[in-house]
Amino acid sequence: MTRTFKPDETVDFLVVGSGPSGGVIARELSRAGFTVLVMEQGPRLFPSDFEHDELKYFYLAGITNSPKLSPQTFRAGPGAPSLLPTFRNPLTYARLVGGSGNHFTANFWRFHEVDFNERSRLGGIPGASLADWPISYQELEPYYTKVEWEVGVSGLAGASPFDPPRSKPYPMPPLPVKSSGVLFERGARKLGLHPFPAPMAITSQPYRGRPACVSCGFCQGFGCEVMAKSSPLYTTIPEAEATGRCEVRSESYVFNVDMNDKGRVTGVRYFDKDKKEHFQKARAVVLSANGAETARLLLNSHNAKFPQGLANSSGLVGKYLMFNAGANAHAVFEHELNEYKSVQVTRVLHDFYDSDPKRGFYGGGGIDARIGPQPAAWALVTGKELPRWGKEFKERLEMFPRSMIIQGHTTSLAVETNSVSIDPQLKDAWGVPAIRVTYKDHPDDLKISQFLLDRSVEILEAAGAQKIWRADVAERSTSVHLLGTARMGNDPATSVVDKYHRTHDIKNLFLCDGSSLVTSGRGQPTMTIQALAFRAADHIARFAKRNEI
Amino acid sequence: MNRSLTSRRKFLVSSAAGVSGAWLTANWPGIAAAADHAAHMASAPGFVPTKFVFFTAAEAADVDAIAAQILPSGATPGARDAHAVYFIDQAFATFNADLAPSFRAGLAAFQRGYREAQPSGGAFASASAAEQLAWLKTVDTTPFFEAVRQLTVLGTLSASKYGGNFEGKGWQMMHFEDQHIFEPPFGYYDRDYPGFVPYTKEGTS
Repeated sequence: MTRTFKPDETVDFLVVGSGPSGGVIARELSRAGFTVLVMEQGPRLFPSDFEHDELKYFYLAGITNSPKLSPQTFRAGPGAPSLLPTFRNPLTYARLVGGSGNHFTANFWRFHEVDFNERSRLGGIPGASLADWPISYQELEPYYTKVEWEVGVSGLAGASPFDPPRSKPYPMPPLPVKSSGVLFERGARKLGLHPFPAPMAITSQPYRGRPACVSCGFCQGFGCEVMAKSSPLYTTIPEAEATGRCEVRSESYVFNVDMNDKGRVTGVRYFDKDKKEHFQKARAVVLSANGAETARLLLNSHNAKFPQGLANSSGLVGKYLMFNAGANAHAVFEHELNEYKSVQVTRVLHDFYDSDPKRGFYGGGGIDARIGPQPAAWALVTGKELPRWGKEFKERLEMFPRSMIIQGHTTSLAVETNSVSIDPQLKDAWGVPAIRVTYKDHPDDLKISQFLLDRSVEILEAAGAQKIWRADVAERSTSVHLLGTARMGNDPATSVVDKYHRTHDIKNLFLCDGSSLVTSGRGQPTMTIQALAFRAADHIARFAKRNEI
Repeated sequence: MNRSLTSRRKFLVSSAAGVSGAWLTANWPGIAAAADHAAHMASAPGFVPTKFVFFTAAEAADVDAIAAQILPSGATPGARDAHAVYFIDQAFATFNADLAPSFRAGLAAFQRGYREAQPSGGAFASASAAEQLAWLKTVDTTPFFEAVRQLTVLGTLSASKYGGNFEGKGWQMMHFEDQHIFEPPFGYYDRDYPGFVPYTKEGTS
């Protein structure tokens, strides 16, 4: 049933990016009766292509943007020198059909009400551009529910006393608890905290033709080999194709969005797998390429009317990049936990979610129990309290089955100088100007990270850990959470897209992905990105039907 | 159950000892997929290099000696048992080829520094374990040492097809089982978990 379009055929919607947001947009618009073409940089893989291969996935960019082919530079502030990392790009995303929905860990908590109105509640924060969203949690709630049911999320509604209101329970029960979850719950409850079963976009029972998770443990950073992870590759993308109105064109690297004299976008230029250039016509374009590539594409698509980048009259495209900060504590217990088995997280708590002025700084977050990555990546975690080599180092590795991590996930403040911009010299393997990342954590981001690290250590102590190490709270130079670079707002002078994800500058150009976020939440942004995409698609379809695009 | 499913089930049961029949039955669709995948991966050819393609014999000996101090052998296997040096050699011949010149220069500087500091002028690899340990403590903050450290870990713990982790010895050291399915309970502490107890309105259970 898959539809194939010709380049000179004008599709109703051209969606750049097939990840968590692009998949939703494609499904919803094609189901609404429109023709949709999805352009994806990377290849289309199948469950049997995914491997338990740490080297390939963590160190050789097996499914992510490679620093060799798609390099980026990094500056720790506007005046700092630009560095060219060789091992890992500062901004990492999965480069295949389904995008980062393939390699995400699948933590799927909702943002809370405060994430949308914190500026009004707290006032401004020096050195940051904290702003309210133009929409509320209540406005987004039906779409959160839609994600849970349409994409497939396991969890226990009402388990957390801090949960925002919800209209429906989860469609699947929580995944089986792991030893880390039991210990986390034991320690946290002793301290009067409220751990609860982690909401995960992984099947705990057969769901819509997909099997239940078989607990292989290779979730974080890996593609799922049994289709239990609710990736777009297994959910929204095939459902969009099933309409007969959607084509997903893989290995198609969009490098420019073209605009005509009337100020409307007309389509995109892209390279096929043989690096041959094509132009594809479209009535409207939706960029869902992630918070790094959407901004880069706009900046590289500058023209006479928009010399500083397409749809960038505000000058804010690429600015306010947010990562989500955080830190973790490692611990060893008396008996084996075998945390490498099953999904990464089974318990989380939100007792410290809200920012509390009594702490003396802005920020809040969630804390969860996990092991994080598999053996090699776990062994290479460094920190000043962690042995790096020799007998003690080996003893730490031998304790792997008795080990766990408690991880804090925090706010990142929007700082104007934290940005995706175009590097003045560097180009990628296709000759396209590359990303320059400028990032320096706001001091409050580090303070809340330290605060949650201290709480994590207290939980581990209360749980009876034999030994505890603290990882360092350090400024970040890499992230997989790519947020805020084309923020949503009502004022065209202070935002890039309106509350419906339409660019303020161009009527038939929409942006919907992590770039739209006004605040960072407290981590785990994919759930909110997909809720925004369902909402955006509803409105975009409505506009199209009224001929308002 | 057809022959194909029987075959997959046999493979799965043989490769995932401890999985109960009841769980197998209840979760069959996912397990069947995992079994297919496990069978596919198990059929991939192994790789046990026996010659160095990038290092000279003297270079390999010194890198192996450093690796053996980073992850020493003992009651459990170490980097030498896992053939980490072969992984490192393969890495610079293949996916890390662009970094090979700088690594070789770093190794040469390491060797030179060691020789100049020793009255005997011998190679690092031929020194006693105590001497090696003492010297490495003087250089363990250098970029070269960090590169060897990271490659030693990767060579010990990456999939065997890259030339290291010989016979899965790195994973044995970490007590890690590379299987495609696991059935709960996963560890000691979740064996007798009574279930999640909801909070009361006051926030206590």
